[in-house]
Amino acid sequence: MLETRRGLVIQGLGLSLGGQPVLHAISLDVAPGEVVALEGPSGAGKTSLLRAAAGLLPCTGTILADGSRPALVFQQHALAGRLSARENVLVGALGRLGFWRPALGLWPAADIAAAEGCLARVGLDGLGSRRAAHLSGGQRQRVAIARALLQRARILLADEPVASLDPENADAILTLLRRLAHEEGLAILVSLHQPDLARRFADRRLRIEAGRLQPAIALSGTLRA
Amino acid sequence: MRRAAWLLLLAALYAACIAVVQPDLPRLWAGLPRLAHWLAGAFPPDFSGLPDLLRRAAETVAIATLGTSLAALLALPLALMAARPVAPIPALYHPARALLDALRGIDGFVFALIFVAAVGLGPFAGMLGVALHSAGSIAKLWSEALETADPAPVEAALSAGGTRAQAAAVILLPETLPQTLSALLYVWEFNIRASTVLGLVGAGGLGQELKNAVDLLDFARVLAILLIVIALVLTADRLSAALRRRLA
Repeated sequence: MLETRRGLVIQGLGLSLGGQPVLHAISLDVAPGEVVALEGPSGAGKTSLLRAAAGLLPCTGTILADGSRPALVFQQHALAGRLSARENVLVGALGRLGFWRPALGLWPAADIAAAEGCLARVGLDGLGSRRAAHLSGGQRQRVAIARALLQRARILLADEPVASLDPENADAILTLLRRLAHEEGLAILVSLHQPDLARRFADRRLRIEAGRLQPAIALSGTLRA
Repeated sequence: MRRAAWLLLLAALYAACIAVVQPDLPRLWAGLPRLAHWLAGAFPPDFSGLPDLLRRAAETVAIATLGTSLAALLALPLALMAARPVAPIPALYHPARALLDALRGIDGFVFALIFVAAVGLGPFAGMLGVALHSAGSIAKLWSEALETADPAPVEAALSAGGTRAQAAAVILLPETLPQTLSALLYVWEFNIRASTVLGLVGAGGLGQELKNAVDLLDFARVLAILLIVIALVLTADRLSAALRRRLA
């Protein structure tokens, strides 16, 4: 992954899983401050594309990231239920820390303060001590976003972040993502299977089918920040 | 046809087992009066020197407790190496599983026998025997708990730049704590039972007293010891079950 100041730029990304080609020469870009929705039917390759862009799947092609490893927000939160919201957020700092301090629960004070700050940014001020298992679905997804923020990533990849949420929480999460992009300059690529949500919350929409990116979808009725 | 073949195979297996064991009902019949005589002689149980028996019982609990604790220390790295999602060195996965299977495969009684020869008579040898066998059992139970845990939080940690070791320590171990502690209590409870017979090979505990009493055909003493064993095992069983219920 190379450094750039242009948000996320993917060029000619190809991916095969179990010998089967899954993604074919995908090229796209997401500018800082922009929310790009990735749409497509189930099995089209949305999740694979995001996971490859996050470095979780070995792929061909070029991924140019904005000076940091892209952070991935998983579809089902991927939180540890017995850990507190704060500890789950602190997982985002693991890449900067050694083994023993996190293993013994002796997180650096600066990281604890940063984790609390990230929780406040996603609207979960004061809930840091609560076990993740005791949070609502919407709150869990916010914790997952806070974890991504603690990675200090400038690029956020969100894989169906509202798939398991009710409409009200889905709106709130997408509003939060949109605010993070527009107010804090994050480049956000979010996969959504509801065209309505994509239309309302994304600045730009892309469609992927059978592992190939389709021509751009015209924007209409997009909310303006 | 297939069912008949299975039945035939089962019958052949039983025939082979019977040929080896040679069950002899007349011999059992002939021995019954002797057993009845011993049983009658066992009443009332002989609790004389109770403090000594209780000291031996405490020795049994100590063997099981220290043995299980040492086993847990040995089992932790083994379990991590034998759990696919976190195995730090994938090449060591199969050797680690083979090692824990081997440890499990040899009974603590056998290990104790070997340790008595190596370090001498007494509870220390018993503790080492319990520890070595239990390390395999605990590592297997723990590796299974680690392998069946939700892999998503681990993946999230890896995607955040964390290492497998960090993910194991920060996420997997706390997440599987109820299962791992429950497994540990179960093994401890099992070891209390197992430790009562370690004395038969000179590895301390109540078994030592039991062997002495049987050698002397002192069945009132044997009964007293067996009653203490039952009380001990039931107490450990209830305590362990209550703690495991709280962890569930």
